[in-house]
Amino acid sequence: MDKTKQMLPLTEAFYYILVTLCAEPSHGYGMMQEVERMSGGRLKLGAGTLYTALNTLQGKGLIEPRPGAEGADARRKMYAITADGRAVLTAEVDRLEELLAAGRQALNGRF
Amino acid sequence: MARTEKRWHAWMSWDYEKEEQWLNELSARGLHMTKGRAFRSEFERDESVRYTYGLDYQGGLTKKNGKLDEYIALYREMGWEYVSSYSGIWHFFRRPWEPGETPKLYTDRDSLVQHYKKIQNVMTVVLLANLVILFANFTNIVTRLDGAMRWGVTVPLLALYVIVFSLLGYGIAKMNRKIKEIGGERT
Repeated sequence: MDKTKQMLPLTEAFYYILVTLCAEPSHGYGMMQEVERMSGGRLKLGAGTLYTALNTLQGKGLIEPRPGAEGADARRKMYAITADGRAVLTAEVDRLEELLAAGRQALNGRF
Repeated sequence: MARTEKRWHAWMSWDYEKEEQWLNELSARGLHMTKGRAFRSEFERDESVRYTYGLDYQGGLTKKNGKLDEYIALYREMGWEYVSSYSGIWHFFRRPWEPGETPKLYTDRDSLVQHYKKIQNVMTVVLLANLVILFANFTNIVTRLDGAMRWGVTVPLLALYVIVFSLLGYGIAKMNRKIKEIGGERT
């Protein structure tokens, strides 16, 4: 099984972090806020959950640290998505689309 | 200036959530932990505030490699004030208490399972390391001592190891149960 497929399915936290970073590099707090906004307030990432997720995603090479802008707080670590990260996110979206299509079809009553 | 008080306690690693609850209850009564220790933590009395505490297990974070500062900065941004660390692995945080649901550091099953497993893995490593030490000690004792001396040393040593192994074994089993209770590891 290839590396991309091994990561699937992603947890909601992993998924939304990758989605957030797809738009632009961000730091932990920014991601947490963006995830909360995108999920309509449903998903509030705890500090430990976010910290663990960032470490895991970085360890798997799906995200990478990005040096902050001049004069930015050095402790505030910025992250960006990698090519591998995009590949995993793409594969996950495809997988979810298949699940959704099958579920919708069933619910809309094809007897 | 707030008065400092010390309190005895004996929380085991696998009961860290109960320790959090205990700290929260004390804080509700105006006693707030300021330095977390293994058996005797420091508290400050202040009836005008109330906190929610969070205990986190993270190894390998030091000032030198810069990871500790990064870690504390991230938690601070998420609303958690850094209180203290114990033995470089347990980190204590708190945030002003708010009515409603108690805020948690770990908000999904996967990251909580990972946290539990991290605690369990360290116990397993310590258990195995102690097994090696036990064997080394025994070879030493058996070859160097004889007669009454041999038993005088062996029996207390064995008793000590029985306690250490039972505690660690209990801890490992307890973490296993906690992992199962929240739905287990993702397959």
